[in-house]
Amino acid sequence: MIWQRVFAMAHKEWREIVRDRLFFSLAFVVPALLMVLFGYGLSLDVENIPFAVVDQDHSAASREYAWRFIGSRYFQFRGYSESEREAGQQLASGQIRVALVIPPQFGRTLGRGQAAQVATLVDGTFPSRAMTTKGYVTAISTAFTLQSLSARVAAQSGASVEVVQKALQPVTLETRYLYNQSVSSIWSLAPKLIMVILMLSPPFLTALGVVREKENGSIFNIYASNMSRGEFLVGKLMPYVLISTINILVLWLLATVLYQVPFKGSFLFFLPATLVYVLCTTGIGLVVSVLVRTQVAAMIVTMIVTMIPAVLYSGLIIPIVSLGSGASIVAHLMPAMYYTDIVVGCFLKGVGIESVWRPLLVLTGFAVVLFMLGYAGFSKRPST
Amino acid sequence: MSDIVIAASQFGKRYARHDAVRDLSLTIRRGELYGLIGPDGAGKSSFMKAVAGVLSFDSGTLEVFGSRIDSERSAEQVKGRIGLMPQGLGQNLYGDLSVEENIDFFASLRQVPAEVARERKEQLLATTRLAAFRSRPMKKLSGGMKQKLGLVCTLIHAPDLIILDEPTTGVDPVSRRDFWAILAELVASRGLTALVSTAYMDEASRFSRMSLMHEGQVLAEGPPEAILARVPGAIVQCQAVPQIEALQRLSGRFAQCEALGPTLRIFARDVSGETARAEVSQMLAGLAIERLDVLEPELEDVFVALMAEQGRLEKPQLDAPLAAPRDEDTSEFAIEARALTRVFGDFVAVGDVSFQVRPGEIFGLLGANGAGKTTAIKMLTGILPPSGGAGRVAGADMKKAGALIKSRIGYMSQAFSLYLDLTVTENIRLYAGLYGLSREETRNRLEWIIGMAGLAGHEGDLAATLPMGLRQRLALGCALVHRPRVVFLDEPTSGVDPLGRRAFWEILFHLSRVEGVAMLVTTHYMSEAEHCDHLALMFAGRVVADDTPAGMKQAVIAEAGELFEVSGGDVLALVPELRESGFDSVSPYGKKLHVLTRDPQRLGEVVHARLPAARIEARPMAMEDVFVHKVTQLEAAQRKGGT
Repeated sequence: MIWQRVFAMAHKEWREIVRDRLFFSLAFVVPALLMVLFGYGLSLDVENIPFAVVDQDHSAASREYAWRFIGSRYFQFRGYSESEREAGQQLASGQIRVALVIPPQFGRTLGRGQAAQVATLVDGTFPSRAMTTKGYVTAISTAFTLQSLSARVAAQSGASVEVVQKALQPVTLETRYLYNQSVSSIWSLAPKLIMVILMLSPPFLTALGVVREKENGSIFNIYASNMSRGEFLVGKLMPYVLISTINILVLWLLATVLYQVPFKGSFLFFLPATLVYVLCTTGIGLVVSVLVRTQVAAMIVTMIVTMIPAVLYSGLIIPIVSLGSGASIVAHLMPAMYYTDIVVGCFLKGVGIESVWRPLLVLTGFAVVLFMLGYAGFSKRPST
Repeated sequence: MSDIVIAASQFGKRYARHDAVRDLSLTIRRGELYGLIGPDGAGKSSFMKAVAGVLSFDSGTLEVFGSRIDSERSAEQVKGRIGLMPQGLGQNLYGDLSVEENIDFFASLRQVPAEVARERKEQLLATTRLAAFRSRPMKKLSGGMKQKLGLVCTLIHAPDLIILDEPTTGVDPVSRRDFWAILAELVASRGLTALVSTAYMDEASRFSRMSLMHEGQVLAEGPPEAILARVPGAIVQCQAVPQIEALQRLSGRFAQCEALGPTLRIFARDVSGETARAEVSQMLAGLAIERLDVLEPELEDVFVALMAEQGRLEKPQLDAPLAAPRDEDTSEFAIEARALTRVFGDFVAVGDVSFQVRPGEIFGLLGANGAGKTTAIKMLTGILPPSGGAGRVAGADMKKAGALIKSRIGYMSQAFSLYLDLTVTENIRLYAGLYGLSREETRNRLEWIIGMAGLAGHEGDLAATLPMGLRQRLALGCALVHRPRVVFLDEPTSGVDPLGRRAFWEILFHLSRVEGVAMLVTTHYMSEAEHCDHLALMFAGRVVADDTPAGMKQAVIAEAGELFEVSGGDVLALVPELRESGFDSVSPYGKKLHVLTRDPQRLGEVVHARLPAARIEARPMAMEDVFVHKVTQLEAAQRKGGT
């Protein structure tokens, strides 16, 4: 390997990236922008659900019941509705997503110690959000039931409300969430976004960078010279790996500073492990660039081979264990899932190489294989 | 060591569906400037890439510098001694890097020691006169400058063989001559061997030897003179009235007979000039013959003759009426531009342009890239509103009646504006639909276009699979589907082979003479300018000359004198001396010189003082000489003006 040629190549490439507005923004602006847009847009927390109440009872009890929801941070009160019909219209137009219908005689029925029914209309267009909403409604209703029951028993038996409450609830759940104490979804999302963005950006840059030379014919300068395939690939990819390294730091800062995600692991492990992942995704771009001839084709193919695995088969939204057996096999054939283990481990669990050496090894394997494929597929004397 | 640089024997290259090159055998010796001449798709690039070791091939053998090229490894061994400049204007250079950075990159790529590289760079920058632009980004250079930079980058490692793939395509004639001059100088002074391809037949005389190629095969090989000698005969150029009658009489006897504006050009095979003159005069008996010249055949005539031998001459069918009856507009001019101006910010793209085109006239708009030709056409067709001035097209005011104009004109753009994924019939039907033709009319026009364009048998083919010549005529057919009275053609023949171009011009001629359709054509083939009845030369957004082709030539002769060709011996070395002696218009032309002068006697004295054996002959001036002279003069004036 003659380093003069490698550095000439790398230097040329670097200047082209920095001077070309499109490449420059693709390299330095897009990754950070994705992190911000996805981070704010993809939050899976369900809060401030807009709702309305149809109070057909107008009693103290019905008002108290409604207040349980109005006061909750999970719900946002949008006023009382006159009738079930009106609430239905509000649901249809998307103004509210939940309507509580309190029947007439609600207070009196409860007062008699009988069971009253409350109808809950939930917008089910997003199943996961609807399920979460139903969970909140159930929890608030249960709390209300328990409290009114305890008050009643206490009044009859003379014991204090607290004592009665404990007696009525022999088993209480004490849940402590590990690794993400406040179960804030951004804590889990931000590290995974680093995984997604580093799956998209390096292959895009690499594939476009190599195919651009093919498309406009400057690749013939390389073909026609004595520069070896290895020298070309190393020189060509060096700037892209460097850019991705800068992006690792930028994304890490965004996660820890902007989103306040705790970083419990060792940065000295995180950085090289992420670099292995970047080499691996750069390799994907390299393989794509060997297969296609035009920048448009490079973009579409890269999109397909990176976006889908990064979103669906990586554990970003659905945990790998919840995938069907077929999907699970696919996930294991893609590098994204392995890096998810590493990045989540580093941020939230604070684990190091002793726990995630296995995925790291797999990623290294991926990188080696991809680079070998790219090297083998690159010919200085092609047939077309 | 043998002085054979390239030896190919029965070389063949196949792509998935077709043979790019078949059975090519040739030998190139050290110091030769060897040409591959042929239209697009002739197989030039494939062979050149194989020689440079950047493309594998399928059959035959290829030896470069005595070593057999048959694998990536064997190709590597000679790459250090080869420089390759691939096709495309500056396509292999890096647009965002400056001139100097580009050169430095190539120097490092080729491992030229820093000291040597610096010295060589300065020398080459000086030769190519690019030194003043060293820090300008490549993408901001003109086409001609990009090509010169490409040449510098190809030469920075001092190769023994340079391979240049169509280095002059898309470059204006002035820069083309400049490029050839520099190349000839470098080949001579450095003992280089050069393999150069071109699609311009008129560049043949630049080469010491060449292969004339078509569709992967070599039609003829040897020095240009020997190839010309393969098809003996004479060219007769005459002006006779009425022209169409003369054309009909002559085309019955001569297979190669075409109209160039008001002139007819006939290739009389296998006869001497005098016999040809007598025969033509006899056949035109009874018509008014205004002029009759006998000339030597050129390479394009020979190319067409060789193709005709293979029975591949294309004859369009032109019987049915093409255009609408002439009654609807009675205006004197079909196209009229009065002081048209278009300004983009501070930049005057078109300034104060005026010209008129009569019905039945073929009007040519000439000019280098960026001279404002396309902007002018866009304003006249109502696509772009003008900043000032007025224009009438097909009897309608272009400012007020944009929509009316569009329904009365046909427009064929550079890119042929066809839908490549539709078949021939589907394309025609689409255009018929766009212009609102009735079912009956559509059927008639479909039939006519198929016949005119020679597309019979191709009706169901995708436009993408048609050869360029057919594709071009299909595009013309689509532009004519609604029988327009005025047709705009923007660089209609780029990339088309001489046979296709000939058939195309034949159609245009018929349209103008028989149907009275007015045509405005832009072209960068100077030889095609001769086809026009009237020409306007544009420079920096203005019309700087507006005359018939013959009138323009006369004007140049009156201004700078007749054209003389100096040949025999090392005449290229005389260039500096001639310039010093006051001959301003000297340009190298292959191994010869072209000089415009009013004082041939003094020219003889200066030349013969150094080279007693040199020949000086008067030559008829070509449009290219006119263009080069005019533009050189204007550029000099512009520089003096301090802009």
